[in-house]
Amino acid sequence: MRISASEKWFQTFNYIILTLAASTMIFPFLHLLAVSFSSPVAADSKEVFLWPVGFTLGTWEHILQNSGLWQSFGVTIYVTVVGTFFSMILSVLTAYPLSRQEFLIRKQVMLFIVITMIFNAPLIPFFLTVRELGMMNSLWSLIIPGAISTYNMIIIRTFFQGLPKELDDSAKIDGCNEFRVLFQIYLPLSKPVLATIGLFYAVGYWNIFQRAVLFLRNQELWPLQMKLRAYLTSPEELAQVNLFLGDYDFNTTTLKAATIIFATVPILLVYPYLQKYFVKGSMLGSLKE
Amino acid sequence: MQTINPLIRNIKRHWMLYLMILPGIIFYIIFKYIPLAGSVIAFQNYQILKGIMNSPWVWFDNFKYIFMYQDFYNVLRNTAIIATYKLIFQFPAPIILALLFNEVRLMFAKRTLQSLFYLPHFLSWVIVGGIVFEVLSSQGVVNTIRSWMGFEPILYMQQERYFRGIVILSGIWKEIGWGTIVYLAAIAGINPSLYEAAVMDGANRWKQTLYITLPGIFPTILVLFLLNIGNFLELGFEQIYNLLTPMTYSVGDIIETYVYRAGILQGQFSVTTAIGIFQSVIGFVLLWIFNRLANKTGEGLW
Repeated sequence: MRISASEKWFQTFNYIILTLAASTMIFPFLHLLAVSFSSPVAADSKEVFLWPVGFTLGTWEHILQNSGLWQSFGVTIYVTVVGTFFSMILSVLTAYPLSRQEFLIRKQVMLFIVITMIFNAPLIPFFLTVRELGMMNSLWSLIIPGAISTYNMIIIRTFFQGLPKELDDSAKIDGCNEFRVLFQIYLPLSKPVLATIGLFYAVGYWNIFQRAVLFLRNQELWPLQMKLRAYLTSPEELAQVNLFLGDYDFNTTTLKAATIIFATVPILLVYPYLQKYFVKGSMLGSLKE
Repeated sequence: MQTINPLIRNIKRHWMLYLMILPGIIFYIIFKYIPLAGSVIAFQNYQILKGIMNSPWVWFDNFKYIFMYQDFYNVLRNTAIIATYKLIFQFPAPIILALLFNEVRLMFAKRTLQSLFYLPHFLSWVIVGGIVFEVLSSQGVVNTIRSWMGFEPILYMQQERYFRGIVILSGIWKEIGWGTIVYLAAIAGINPSLYEAAVMDGANRWKQTLYITLPGIFPTILVLFLLNIGNFLELGFEQIYNLLTPMTYSVGDIIETYVYRAGILQGQFSVTTAIGIFQSVIGFVLLWIFNRLANKTGEGLW
């Protein structure tokens, strides 16, 4: 194929634009990383760009000794693990009958569920319902009220529907009941989709913020995102010492930078997996209804 | 009896399926349908100690009240303006990026670029908000570059005039890459023989994009546009809440942040529920109108 001069120009231009834009996606993290290893004076005098100036570990020593941050880190891990498990169980148990021809009312139940995607309840009645259930100031308020994402559940159902029907016919003849068909035949065959949906849920729980704002008044229960927000809006709390009363090798600028990096690193560590399965998952969703 | 009998037989035979779906049904009843029914408190003067049963009915008084209340207009205006900006600037951004990605021939470069663009999608708005504040702070990168060029630093986050632009830019930054996935899938689904025929007819890449790729992904664009319109006034609590400061309330306070403050923090449950209903109704009306328009040009949602 012949390529005209103008198309060559466009190609070059395209690579430059895309590379510049893509670098803005990673640049803030590299910058904050550099700031977090820089001396407070350098950090506040606009000297730091992508490489630390006046290298010091002081900020990180202080951050990693901060018990409040670790406490909320623990809460987030707990909520992510328990929540993802809980959501997966509920979603799979709901998706399976909806994928079965034998389940007589599957269309009606499906309609009953899809209606809630269109008519979403306002925030306040939702809040009052959760409150009435006594979940205020309980970590269950982060898990149970949003346990099933309808979108995710439908992806699982669509995948189940695509599995060959002969499989469970033969299983039934062998005397398997529905639970065994689901757990011993369907689930092992659905590993890719389960991994994708599991990651969808896990990232959701890791980033959980709004429901924590609504339901958790007790600071000890705050997940990482809440703690992070509190520290970013009042960094004095993060410092835990009066920065004016001494000569420290950190300040609010370097502490904030380090806190943001602290909360980002776990996502970056699993990012290769995330990307692989997420892209697949978002394709799955677009396949059918 | 004719219709009930098969159901009873079905339940008896496949009771395990019914048992499996029971927790899911209970979930939807408690957390979706009960709050939906609980929206009736918008027509009451709801008092938490009396509950829904004993709170006095005031019918449309709460709706009358919000429309006479100056703060509500301010919040509604902010929400509508930001929502419109989002539709104009943020909605087309991933379409353009997907078209640019489509012109990248080197697979390696394409994959690497995509990996970078998808990253911010996985971060919470708390983190992204924190980054925005740092980048735009007086010692942040933007002001550093300004100082090189001899300009005075600007406190972007504290000034009303920049707030909406920051909301749109940060929204684009976070979601543009992720938004391309569905369009790239649509582009991949276009029949390659269309391009071959176009090349035969002498169409260059630009003509191919204009006359084959864009029409090819138009149905996808339309569906996503309609889904967006349905949530027109729902901008996302987390983004605005994490970018807002008291200095920018006058331009940045939106329905969702207002409902949180007045409803959850101050306990004006009925009034804020009325606002929530108003928000949903607007979304629904817009969806209905645009779906009718869509049915004239192509295919709507229904």
